[in-house]
Amino acid sequence: MGAEPLIATRGLSKRFGGVQAVSEADLSLGAGQLRCIIGPNGAGKSTLFKLLLGSLRPDIGTIHFDGRDVTRLEAHRRAHLGIGVKFQNFAVYAELTVRHNLFLPLSHQHRGRAVEREIDDLLARLNLAGTAEKIAGSLAHGQKQWLAIGMALAMKPKLLLLDEPTAGMGPEETEATVRLIRTVNAEGVAAIVVEHDMAFVRQLGAPVTVLHYGRVFAEGTLAEIERHEEVRRIYLGATKLERPPRFKNRQT
Amino acid sequence: MIRTNALLDRLLGRINGPLEPGRSPPFWLLVVAAVVVLALLPTFLSRYELLNFSNFLSNVFLALGLCLIWGFGGILSLGQSAFLGLGGYAYGIVGINLIEIHGNTWLALLAGLGFPVIVAAALGWMMFYARLKGVYVAILMLVVTLLIETFLNQTAGQGWFIGNAHLGGNNGLGRFSGVIREPPSLTLGFGAETMVVFKGKTQAFYYLVLGLGVLCYLGLRAFVNSRIGHVLVAIREDPDRTEALGYDVRALQLSVFCLSALLASMSGILYVSWGNFITPNVFGVFYNILPVIWVAVAGRKSLTATIVGTVFLVWLSQKLAIQGDIAFVVLGFILLAGMMLLPEGVVTGLGERIGRVFDRLGIGRHGARHGR
Repeated sequence: MGAEPLIATRGLSKRFGGVQAVSEADLSLGAGQLRCIIGPNGAGKSTLFKLLLGSLRPDIGTIHFDGRDVTRLEAHRRAHLGIGVKFQNFAVYAELTVRHNLFLPLSHQHRGRAVEREIDDLLARLNLAGTAEKIAGSLAHGQKQWLAIGMALAMKPKLLLLDEPTAGMGPEETEATVRLIRTVNAEGVAAIVVEHDMAFVRQLGAPVTVLHYGRVFAEGTLAEIERHEEVRRIYLGATKLERPPRFKNRQT
Repeated sequence: MIRTNALLDRLLGRINGPLEPGRSPPFWLLVVAAVVVLALLPTFLSRYELLNFSNFLSNVFLALGLCLIWGFGGILSLGQSAFLGLGGYAYGIVGINLIEIHGNTWLALLAGLGFPVIVAAALGWMMFYARLKGVYVAILMLVVTLLIETFLNQTAGQGWFIGNAHLGGNNGLGRFSGVIREPPSLTLGFGAETMVVFKGKTQAFYYLVLGLGVLCYLGLRAFVNSRIGHVLVAIREDPDRTEALGYDVRALQLSVFCLSALLASMSGILYVSWGNFITPNVFGVFYNILPVIWVAVAGRKSLTATIVGTVFLVWLSQKLAIQGDIAFVVLGFILLAGMMLLPEGVVTGLGERIGRVFDRLGIGRHGARHGR
């Protein structure tokens, strides 16, 4: 490819005690592209996610974002460079109002009345109009997920990191989430989606990276991946390679 | 009329916000009434009662600092009284040395406010930049304060002088140490004519504490309802997420920790100014747990509740203490019952109930949900 990728990792590795959670992972994504990261439990998806957002430092390897080495940069600085994050579960501040939730990302760029306007705009876009004064924890499950994505979007990121955006959603909510991600992507925001749910990955139709034992195991379109014999064996749990290592990081 | 209303709205807009209960006109009327009553109190109270009440009130700053970092920031410190002690000692030591030379205590005041903040900055830097969380901060602070207590308790010997100030071991700084020099009361002013000595038994001291209390209350209300306050509450709820939203969580935790130390040091300086002594007891377990109880029982997520609860509980413990040891059992039961019935805090809980009654009567609908 000609243009420089938006985000590129090289030889990224992270070890927890005796467990090599991520091992020499090379991953790159161009501006405005979409990517799903899949893999069985303990494949290192969550660790990779945390390395990308900056809450963990890699043991070795580098991360370049938007032409800059961000390997040692803290999460809050990466956020300002344009990495937006939606965490796995409980991705909103459940005890705070919806307004307060959205105020946090929006108040970097806006002050006073402008923040209020932006909040209203964003709520309308997220199908959450009229919920500003509600406590975020009282929203329906799908609404919470949208709010969480909205918070990540509010900082106008170039790259969105989404950790299981449809966890616990019904089919209709999942579909709406797919539409939301597509809309955002159509506006030029790249996204890396860590996902478990193959139905969602299929609906999204984005290129897929398969992680296994912390390594990038395969990459390609979903069709290619599904034809990949090794990948099928991993997912069927029939692999006889070695006993899977136990991981400390929680995954659902 | 309209112009005054607009002005009032703007002023109240800063200190009224979603993060501190009590926003309605009846609530503010009550606050003004309370301040007026407090301001008139010296004309009703005997000298002894005023002396006592001044002391109760001066604890409010310590409690407000804890309310800020714990209730709003989610960081429980079991060594908050250490900053009170460090402030008191620093003020006392500098004061003893300079009062005769300068005739005022400006530098001592500066030392008393500054030293605890420097210590808090160093401790906080270690704790927050090591990403210590929750109970570890609480325990580390308790260890620090007990270490200081142990150290000061063994300073009774004649070698422990800082200038003219004798540290005095467990007798502390002041009149019990066998050395006549005791820490001076706050002596502030510009030039000899305007110099005021804020001794504990004077009305000047009482009004100083009251004035500072009102200022801190309004200032902290503005602080918690500001942008930083919103971020602080977000950090309490989830630090990692707040970091991913582009906020430097550790820097903010450190700053607020320093602010809480500053507030505690005010209580310490006022305490020394009030009684002209301080002992290592203030670094002990008892004095460090007390503010936690005040804030927890009153309602840690509210500045108003913290002030009301602290003054009431300090007053109650003293009333009961006169009755002997059984009093502490009674106090314990009151605290337990309060926390079980109203886990969000007794003052907060009662305030919300009163607010609901007001709402039902249709008074002060502006005040939204919680009016006290």
